[in-house]
Amino acid sequence: MLDQLINGLVVGNLYALTAVGITQIYGVAGVINFAHGSIYMIGAFVGWMAVTWFGLPLLPALVVVLAASALLGLLVERVAIRPFGGAGRTVLLLSTIAAGLILEQAAQLIWGPETKAFHTPFADVRFRVGGGSVSTLDLLILAVGLSTALVIWLFLKRSRLGWAVRATAQDREAALQMGVDVNRVSRVSFAMAGALAGVSGLLVGLYYHSVYHTMGSSASLKGFTAALLGGLGNIPGAFLGAYLLGTTEALGVAWLGSTWRDLIGIALLIGVLLFRPNGLLAAARALLPEPTAGTFIPIGRPLPIPRWALLAAGAAALALPLAVRNGYWLQVLSTAWIFGLLAISLNLITGTTGQVSLGHAGFLALGAYASAILTTRLQVPFAVALVVSPVIAAAIGVLLCYPALRLRGQYLAVATIGLGQGIALVALNWPALTRGPLGISNIAPPSFFGYEITSAAGFYWLTLVLLIGGIWMAERLSGSYLGRALRAVREDEVAARAYGVGLERYKSIAFGLSAFLAAFAGVLLAHSYTYIAPDTFTQALSLQVLTMVVLGGLDNTIGVVVGALALISIPESARFLAEYRFLVYGLLLLLMLRFRPRGLLSAAS
Amino acid sequence: MSLLRAQRARVLLAGMLTMAVVMAGCTGRASAPPGAQAAAGAQTTASQEEVLIGVTGPLTGDSAEYGKIWRRGFDLALEEINAAGGVQGRPLNYVFEDTQSDPKQTPAVAQKFVSDPRIVAVIGDFSSPASMAASPIYQRAGLVQLGITNSHPDFTKTGDYIWSNSGSQEDDAPALAVLAVQDLGKKRLAVLHMNTDWGQTSADLFIEKAESLGAEIVLREAYLLTEKDFRPVLTKAREANPDALILISYYNDGALIAQQIPAVGLDVTVVASGSTYSPQFLALGGEAVEGVYTNTRFHPSDPRPEAQEFVRKYKEKYGTEPDTFAAVAYDGMKILATVLNEVGIDRKALRDGLEKAENLQTITHGTTSFGPDRRLRNPRYIRLVVRNGAFEVWEP
Repeated sequence: MLDQLINGLVVGNLYALTAVGITQIYGVAGVINFAHGSIYMIGAFVGWMAVTWFGLPLLPALVVVLAASALLGLLVERVAIRPFGGAGRTVLLLSTIAAGLILEQAAQLIWGPETKAFHTPFADVRFRVGGGSVSTLDLLILAVGLSTALVIWLFLKRSRLGWAVRATAQDREAALQMGVDVNRVSRVSFAMAGALAGVSGLLVGLYYHSVYHTMGSSASLKGFTAALLGGLGNIPGAFLGAYLLGTTEALGVAWLGSTWRDLIGIALLIGVLLFRPNGLLAAARALLPEPTAGTFIPIGRPLPIPRWALLAAGAAALALPLAVRNGYWLQVLSTAWIFGLLAISLNLITGTTGQVSLGHAGFLALGAYASAILTTRLQVPFAVALVVSPVIAAAIGVLLCYPALRLRGQYLAVATIGLGQGIALVALNWPALTRGPLGISNIAPPSFFGYEITSAAGFYWLTLVLLIGGIWMAERLSGSYLGRALRAVREDEVAARAYGVGLERYKSIAFGLSAFLAAFAGVLLAHSYTYIAPDTFTQALSLQVLTMVVLGGLDNTIGVVVGALALISIPESARFLAEYRFLVYGLLLLLMLRFRPRGLLSAAS
Repeated sequence: MSLLRAQRARVLLAGMLTMAVVMAGCTGRASAPPGAQAAAGAQTTASQEEVLIGVTGPLTGDSAEYGKIWRRGFDLALEEINAAGGVQGRPLNYVFEDTQSDPKQTPAVAQKFVSDPRIVAVIGDFSSPASMAASPIYQRAGLVQLGITNSHPDFTKTGDYIWSNSGSQEDDAPALAVLAVQDLGKKRLAVLHMNTDWGQTSADLFIEKAESLGAEIVLREAYLLTEKDFRPVLTKAREANPDALILISYYNDGALIAQQIPAVGLDVTVVASGSTYSPQFLALGGEAVEGVYTNTRFHPSDPRPEAQEFVRKYKEKYGTEPDTFAAVAYDGMKILATVLNEVGIDRKALRDGLEKAENLQTITHGTTSFGPDRRLRNPRYIRLVVRNGAFEVWEP
């Protein structure tokens, strides 16, 4: 027990380093920086080069990393934050994701994809504590974590620039009117957070003796969790959250097993946020974490597309397999239609109701698993499973999301990351139902009344018909009372409630309908792949769907379908780029966000 | 107002342009097959045209490093094949399509390969979800899919066009149990395994065999592929008081576990599955992996001349010793070339040829052939131990 507590504190130490940087950026820029993990990773690589190529001792290596990652922080601010100033936080969220993707791909091209060994450049001494031990490196990490926190605290409380940073955090416009150079403030805080991220990457790389190009993503997720636990923007809170997360995970692993670690972390986060929605150390009178109206998501007006043009496009799409016999493009388009359906379903949450969800892969998994289990275990025909699975998925989806719906804005966004991953983790940890990591194989292809759909064209038509059904449903919903009520929730929660629109009730309806539509996509996916496993439904997939929605235009049904079409077919068309493919994808994403922040098919309203 | 309208018109135009580009992309490619077929017709007359193998695998993303190692194995195999006259007098080559080992992308790549008449067989993909999402397409089209890393027990069950030259867990895991229990005489085993299809099946098979040999399993713990912090699990292992720790791991996580063993005060013999056999395991693990036992179907000190030749050429070309991933990639390409050379450049003939082929020369299985489960027969194992920063052959 004591040993496990120490284990938890040791890993909590690592979480704290990342959490402090994330929380600091949030305090200033009001944005969760998804590129933080990538700066962390590049910091680790720079440190690795300094130590193993140039033979620098630890201290000079630390200085080099500090400088390099501060510069990188500045670069991220210049490229992914400042140009998007007025575009709303969802766009900022995506622009930092794009910047992170570009950095990660660049790192892979520069240093190669294989994990690099990184051994401590000093003799690491262990001290026995209980049955286990603590090393000098653990103490060094603790010292760096505490001293950076102290420096940041002194900077914010004592220096003039620190005051300016805090003023900007409280009210950007007011600070600007008082003569604060808010751009300078933003630069300073990104440089500081970058430096911190780089140093933590270096230290964690040393701790695990390895650096690799994807090391940032899992580290930053733990950092977000710890920062949210403590309360975003609260530095002592980040420490508290990190140690709490580390020890709870260690005790949970000792009790349940290692595969439960992430689920335990997610449960802790959601449990804490339910009772303290702004985190453990947030003051009761703290400002609302999000503005109540308007500015969180920029909604454009859908471009008017004449009805005949839509009908013609639909007819052309339906007739396509008659003219095109190439299985490859029919397959790509089928995938695009499935993701179009998924984008429509996410659009109900994010576009219509204004709630950011980063865990949509979870809903997809619910539908896919429901249908796979029904057809392979219970021998239910496909046609029945196609109808029943979405109902099951909607019911489970609402049950799971209901507790999280009290959260707002970015808190809800991070909770949905947890829920999405949680669903995949439950599938992994419940072998009796889902066959766990083995996944479910030999799922029959779709069939109606004994006729199996196996050709690329047949599958294309099936997906397209369901997509058209989805579009029809979404459009009907949009014009109905329900659609208007959901939009009222998006525009102003206080006003909506004043008019008798129950927030949690309508948000639940939105999540339920969304899970229902997403499950159709899940069923199609399961029966098209014929094999599903928990790692079919990744966090990256959730992010991709959100990108489709934002790119196509929030609350614009046709737009998000076009977004899905573009994001599925562009990487496919770019195959000739080979290793550079996703680097270019990241750049394109950044450019589109810059020049069309309201989406391809929407204009400023 | 008019400004707004102009802006909107421009936006509409931009949107339509995007659509048009996408559609043009579709139709442009769509019209390809008749043309390609015509080209293929021309190919058969001009016999110097390349014979192509489609490779579907990760070049970017989390598993990119394996795709890179594959490519080395393929390139080395091709050099030898083409220096010896190619297949049926035509040069052999491959097209590597990056899928990030993502099941969303593999079916499309499968359709692409299936509709490209120049492609006679496919190698890949890396992970089970990615590979098996594409299998039905290959099966229906009658194009051989050779999985070189696919040990999932269901992988070859999709149909008679799905083959694998990767190790089968049904052979590997029991052999490891023999090493731990019989050769090393360990009786109280703590088993840590990766929680993937491979890890779980291997652990089941290992435990079954170990128990039948009289050992006791004092702890069984699964861990996720993304796990980095093993201290809690290792503390638990210490409390179970084992005399050996069994790692069913890849080299990255295996090295990570080995490093954290001393931190929790655990002092036992470590026996790791053959998948840790890689120079990376030594580089990442450093001193922590000294004394780790493992067994493998491939080792550079394998005295057979083909194996020696492979190791020498690989080191010469890439400056590092080959690992199992390089060996299976090399073998996969060689197997296809050998059979194609015998039966001719035809998808169906290749499938039948794989079934009939005898005396296939491979690095990982020696001289072998495919069994009725479409996996290679006659695995051989070499016992290894890490001494002075290198894998050494160990005899009990």
